[in-house]
Amino acid sequence: MSSKRIVLALVVVAIGLVTMVEGARWLDRSFAFRSPLSEKAGVERLQQAPPTPREQALAEQAAREREEAQKKPYEEAEYRAFPVIGSRTAIWIVAQVKLLFAAFVLAVPMFALIIEFIGFRTKDVRYDRLAYEFVSLLSPAFALTAAFGGVLTFMLIILYPKFTNYLMSVFSPTFLPYVLLLFAEAAFFYTYYYSWGKVGKKTHLFLGVMLNLVGTGIMFIANAWLTFMTTPNGISENGAVLSVWEAVHNYTWMPINIHRMIANLAYGGSIAGAYAAYQFLNAKTPEERAHYDWMGYVANFVAIAGLLPLPFAGYWLASEIYAFSQTMGLTMMGGAFSWLFIIQAILIGCLFLAANYYLWMGMGRVDPEHRKRALIPLLLGVITLGFMVWATPRNPITTPAETAALGGAAHPILGFFGVMSAKNTSVNITILATFVSFILYRRSGKTPRVGWAKVGSAVQVVILLLAATIVISLGVIGYRVEAQVRIGLSVPQVLSVLFAMLLVTFLDVIMLRGAKSAETHWGRMPERSQYVLIFLAVTFTWLMGLMGYVRSGLRQHWHVYGIIRDTSPGAFTPTLGYATKVVSVCVLLFFAQIGFVFWLAALNHRKKVEPYGEVDEGDGGDGDEGTALATPEVAP
Amino acid sequence: MRVPVIVKIAGLTLGATAFYTWVGQLVPQKEVQPPQVVQMSQDIGTDEMVRIGDEIFHGKGLCSTCHTIGQGGAALRFPDLDGVAVRAANRVPGLDQLQYFAQTLYRPNDYIVPGFNPGMPEIDKPPVGLTDDEIKAVIAFLQTQGGEATITMATTLPYSKAAGGAGPGEMTADSGGEGAAAAGGEGGDAAAAPADGSAAERADGGDDA
Repeated sequence: MSSKRIVLALVVVAIGLVTMVEGARWLDRSFAFRSPLSEKAGVERLQQAPPTPREQALAEQAAREREEAQKKPYEEAEYRAFPVIGSRTAIWIVAQVKLLFAAFVLAVPMFALIIEFIGFRTKDVRYDRLAYEFVSLLSPAFALTAAFGGVLTFMLIILYPKFTNYLMSVFSPTFLPYVLLLFAEAAFFYTYYYSWGKVGKKTHLFLGVMLNLVGTGIMFIANAWLTFMTTPNGISENGAVLSVWEAVHNYTWMPINIHRMIANLAYGGSIAGAYAAYQFLNAKTPEERAHYDWMGYVANFVAIAGLLPLPFAGYWLASEIYAFSQTMGLTMMGGAFSWLFIIQAILIGCLFLAANYYLWMGMGRVDPEHRKRALIPLLLGVITLGFMVWATPRNPITTPAETAALGGAAHPILGFFGVMSAKNTSVNITILATFVSFILYRRSGKTPRVGWAKVGSAVQVVILLLAATIVISLGVIGYRVEAQVRIGLSVPQVLSVLFAMLLVTFLDVIMLRGAKSAETHWGRMPERSQYVLIFLAVTFTWLMGLMGYVRSGLRQHWHVYGIIRDTSPGAFTPTLGYATKVVSVCVLLFFAQIGFVFWLAALNHRKKVEPYGEVDEGDGGDGDEGTALATPEVAP
Repeated sequence: MRVPVIVKIAGLTLGATAFYTWVGQLVPQKEVQPPQVVQMSQDIGTDEMVRIGDEIFHGKGLCSTCHTIGQGGAALRFPDLDGVAVRAANRVPGLDQLQYFAQTLYRPNDYIVPGFNPGMPEIDKPPVGLTDDEIKAVIAFLQTQGGEATITMATTLPYSKAAGGAGPGEMTADSGGEGAAAAGGEGGDAAAAPADGSAAERADGGDDA
């Protein structure tokens, strides 16, 4: 552009600005004196002629209202209404979407750091590149988390001013550390991201550790606020603060901290897996397919690694809720929210089935005809049975006539599967089956070189069978003992499964050390496997939304359970049908925005994928056995 | 025509979300309103109290969340209340039926039924927070489980506000009147609180209701 044109443009802009300002000033002057007649003659008439009776009455009314307004004392509003959907639903949606982003930005640094560390130790640059790509998803997600955090804070102050004020007065000592940690998180995150490859690796890993520590600290503080509302502590019966530390360290604070850390990992892994799937499906070259197949595998591994211990963290959380209030515990599991756990069972069943299906498809990367694939129907049967038992309600929905025909509210046979003894057993067996799927995948194409391999494998089978026998036996015993004993049986069930998983993994690691490995053909995955990854991400997100609802909804008509009552119009507990609709809205809002994040990240990375490994030319076709790359064993 | 990947992903996301929303519509739909104080006139009869107590038991009081009536077996987490009126009369030595019921509701952790864990909340305090009159109505309903309701609105229950929060052995004329200390009223067949305070010294109260 020539300098003349620039000068001309500046002059036009200047003239435009002056015209706008003068126009606004003229309007301002005019509006102040405009009469209903709006003509110059009318203005003169108003100035000269006496007011009409109507005008006089209006003026007197306005004066009276001004006087009354002056006399009115200041009153703090307890609640304000949000249009159309109401305050409760508005806060619910904003809080949930904010939480979904927050969980993602807390989770990704955790596994990115681990992957980066693996790359550092193994000197394999691909791990480093993968970790960087995971972290690159964070930058826009970080901004969205902060934006939603701001919206949530303002909406709480506007819509629930009195309660928000109370919460702020209880936790005032925690706000300054929280804000400082937010600044620290931003500093560590941007330094970690932008210094990648530009500072020493150890320094960079230190930055990653600090980012994780600070992020965890932020989550712990925020968890104190929300868990206090459900299981208040450190306050008198009237809500007066007795001890801020006790308010922080309430019954469910640490269980929620641990549960969220694990759940965030599983959820973050699933979202990163969806990103990899999105990239895989849009891949233009075999190298891209291979890279994003590997990325999807790693992300899914993280998600499943988080999913397996999650029920155990859930037990702890639930037991603390019962310890705080049996009424609340029973409202959760046997009262208003009991059917929510049937929905949860269906979601977790879908998660386990989809995750296993992805693992089974993954065996094709190494050896499509591997004999261990013969076990898949058996595993599918076990997981499906576990799913069915877990989703069986104690009391089915029946008409009075059907109830009479059944001889009671519970089905004479299926009713036995609706109690906790059966459900604890089924979830533990499902976890064991998923673990077996993972071990089978891990061993695909590997031939151990140690002399005791056969004995080792046999011992692994015995350990798994023993754990399954313990779990099933304790489940059966649970029907025959009194409540006090039965509740305690879930602990040995959980411990036997955990112990079996640890022992079998330990044996597997030492048995396969130095094993002969077949080539892993990254990219040789059917397209449907990538849609499974996306399905897993949607299901994880939906599950997060549902469980977020029950955690908060458990308070029912209380802001702070048993202490500060909710007297707003939204104090009722909505139907599960309504709740699931709100959860779906949150999920769709989140995916619309995370899709934008994926698109941005894709712009950044599409040209950075470099060829690695030798190309294994597939048949292309519909992608089921598409073009693939042969690489050395790179799976963790 | 090849469907663009982004359309397939959007379809899958919408489909999965719609499926879970649909599942949410299949389960029982119940909207739980915040409980309101049950307005009870002081001149209602025992039969009316039983009816109101039944409603509170299955609603505001949340009793039926934990307790069943007429479902025995090991699967119970809290005591089944079928025939509780008979058991209540002799459950704790020194406490008559009405005193025992009052103790189970106001001070549930003073006595735990063998084989069960503590867990019942103090029913006059949040989160349940029943009023004294509502508690009387619940007791009237419990008395009909294997017995006959005898409590009246004039009865002064131990631990209640009218009794100044005093237990069976601690009640005086000031805290509800000696004669009306426990059963009171025209229909009270339950004995008044022991004068020696023996019941008050017990630390193993009740958790039957």
